[in-house]
Amino acid sequence: MDHRLFFVLGDFLANLAVGAIVGLICWAIVSPSWNMWIAMFAMMPVGTVVGLILFFPIGIKLGAMEVMVPLMFSGELSGMVVGMGAAMAVLTPGQAALLGAASGMAAIFFVWAANTLLRGVTREARER
Amino acid sequence: MVDVITQKKWDKVAPNFDLMAGGGGEVRWRPFKEALYANMRGKILFLALGTGLDIAAFPPGQDIVAIDISPKMLEIAKDRIAGYDGNLRAEVMDVHEMPFEPDSFDQIYTSCTFCSVPNPVEGLKALKRVLKPGGELFMFEHTGSRWYPFRYMMNIMTLLSERMGPSMNRRTTDNVRLAGFRIIEVNNIFLDVVKTIKAVKPA
Repeated sequence: MDHRLFFVLGDFLANLAVGAIVGLICWAIVSPSWNMWIAMFAMMPVGTVVGLILFFPIGIKLGAMEVMVPLMFSGELSGMVVGMGAAMAVLTPGQAALLGAASGMAAIFFVWAANTLLRGVTREARER
Repeated sequence: MVDVITQKKWDKVAPNFDLMAGGGGEVRWRPFKEALYANMRGKILFLALGTGLDIAAFPPGQDIVAIDISPKMLEIAKDRIAGYDGNLRAEVMDVHEMPFEPDSFDQIYTSCTFCSVPNPVEGLKALKRVLKPGGELFMFEHTGSRWYPFRYMMNIMTLLSERMGPSMNRRTTDNVRLAGFRIIEVNNIFLDVVKTIKAVKPA
């Protein structure tokens, strides 16, 4: 991960915000009448696409791949979690946003951990 | 003949290119680019100069021929080219149609280039032709990822991005190998998506 404070804070807050926004979108779409599995799988791509759309304004200040990948993952995870949650119980908008933000936070932590494992020099890198 | 479809695509992107690529992305990548370009020596070919964002990371005093398929990109790059403290010449050129003699360059550099060359292996073979035996290829590239969920995201993004500009799921390291270069080092900068690649043309 980039250790410059602007980027650390920026990445963290951007993923929190995208998670919360996706959470609210899921809350607006999904109701407890939905099947939990359908809600979960339907909201995952919705969240991914929302993350991708929000990448464009956020990426101008924060960067390219380092922003796009986590935001899409935050959107996907938030869509999955809040979509499932909204199908299982009646959520308030605040609860949906909070659950989404928590998912966004989990997603950026996951990306940081994955980056710590994958980055660095190798001689035998293959992409298949 | 120049690949007109690719040329038009990048001409269209040119006016807004610095807005997307010149902000946070360039700030994040600058230290890695400076470290890569610090290897510059001899006669250098720089591929896909674009609007010249990379020029600020070039060490001074180098002898560089830079090419780009988009005349509009190079038009925007004009002031940056003029401001370089060294010998930097830029030409509109398609990597597949380079008129340089074989074995012309000591080193070749690329920066976020092989996400956009329509036939990357052929493009890399064209680079190999103009590189001297034992010459070095240095690349700063973004590629696809081997790992879920990142791989799936890069594939989704490519559906959209390919229409406007680059592909996000290229296997550039493998393509370098397929083109006949020997990989010396791959340095993953962000996940296995943003990386520098150092390779040589076997002597």
